[in-house]
Amino acid sequence: MPARTILIYPHPILKTVCPPVAEICGEISALIEDLVDTMHAGPGSVGVAAPQIGVSLRVCVVDVSQNRLGRENNHGLLALVNPEIVRREGAAIMREGCMSVPDYTGDVERSTSITVRYLDGTGEPHEVEASGFEAVAIQHEMDHLDGLLFLDRIASLKTGLFRRKKYK
Amino acid sequence: MSKCRKDNLAHFAVTVIGKDRPGIVADATEILFRLGCNVEDSSCTMLGGDFAMILIISHEKPFLKPRLAEEFRIFHDMGLSAYIRPLHDDEVCYQSPQGELCLVSVYGSDRPGIVYRVTRALSERGINITDLNTRLIGSREEPVYVMMMEAALPAGFTIEEAETLLEELKKELKVEISVRTITPVSL
Repeated sequence: MPARTILIYPHPILKTVCPPVAEICGEISALIEDLVDTMHAGPGSVGVAAPQIGVSLRVCVVDVSQNRLGRENNHGLLALVNPEIVRREGAAIMREGCMSVPDYTGDVERSTSITVRYLDGTGEPHEVEASGFEAVAIQHEMDHLDGLLFLDRIASLKTGLFRRKKYK
Repeated sequence: MSKCRKDNLAHFAVTVIGKDRPGIVADATEILFRLGCNVEDSSCTMLGGDFAMILIISHEKPFLKPRLAEEFRIFHDMGLSAYIRPLHDDEVCYQSPQGELCLVSVYGSDRPGIVYRVTRALSERGINITDLNTRLIGSREEPVYVMMMEAALPAGFTIEEAETLLEELKKELKVEISVRTITPVSL
């Protein structure tokens, strides 16, 4: 399957809550294949969500194993169907960018450790504990399934470092 | 010529500064809106008791500085300063840095030359500051100077090399300096 074109905001599908996959079938396997190919085609990309290639379904792929930040701590290629975060812990800020919002980056706060429950491409249920960069990538891709972009989660302007507060 | 620039547009940098109050942004952008200008890029913030705006604006050609200056003349009666700079073609587009992006924190007892010495050391190594904030905090008796900046390292220059470079200054200026990466992750 060829890599598909990444849709760019303001495409309306990027702001739409995706419905869950009702039945795992050949179409879903093909979709996952397309997502993986699209991810590998993007420069340094570590994840793609179905709405980014124009499919409004709760499916995304994540693979941080080739990335400097995720090399040491990852589960390889994850294909997540109907994923759900069932546990969150910690918080850290990272500067994120997104293929669907080119030329802009922003500081986003994410949980540092999460447990995700999901189905794989064959319909098998799994539960994975992810932390570090992999956890950030999963949360970023799962946000796409809810029509959320990192722009909806910017934690602070750069000048937020100097938020004025009087302690008196 | 950069591909981001549209040949039919004239670009200007507009700086507005004055005693802070609600409405400065609205007053400035109302003028721009009426003139048919676009705000392409901007950074505005409180500085002391003033509010400072820096904008890159564009307008279809022909459009010349006097037209803008004339409209902003009323700002002087309102106690605001406005400055307009026509931009050359090569000033219009953002050049994204090649190397690692890092955040440098510098803080310690206030003394003359902290900003100058640190930034000179960086510039001599080709490190480009992309954003910088400073503030005087602490008590009247013990003022503390804080400087936070984002800087782009030249390609191939590591965070560790930047740390080593600043180590000397840390001792000499008796300030704390830390460097960490903030290179964006693409997801």
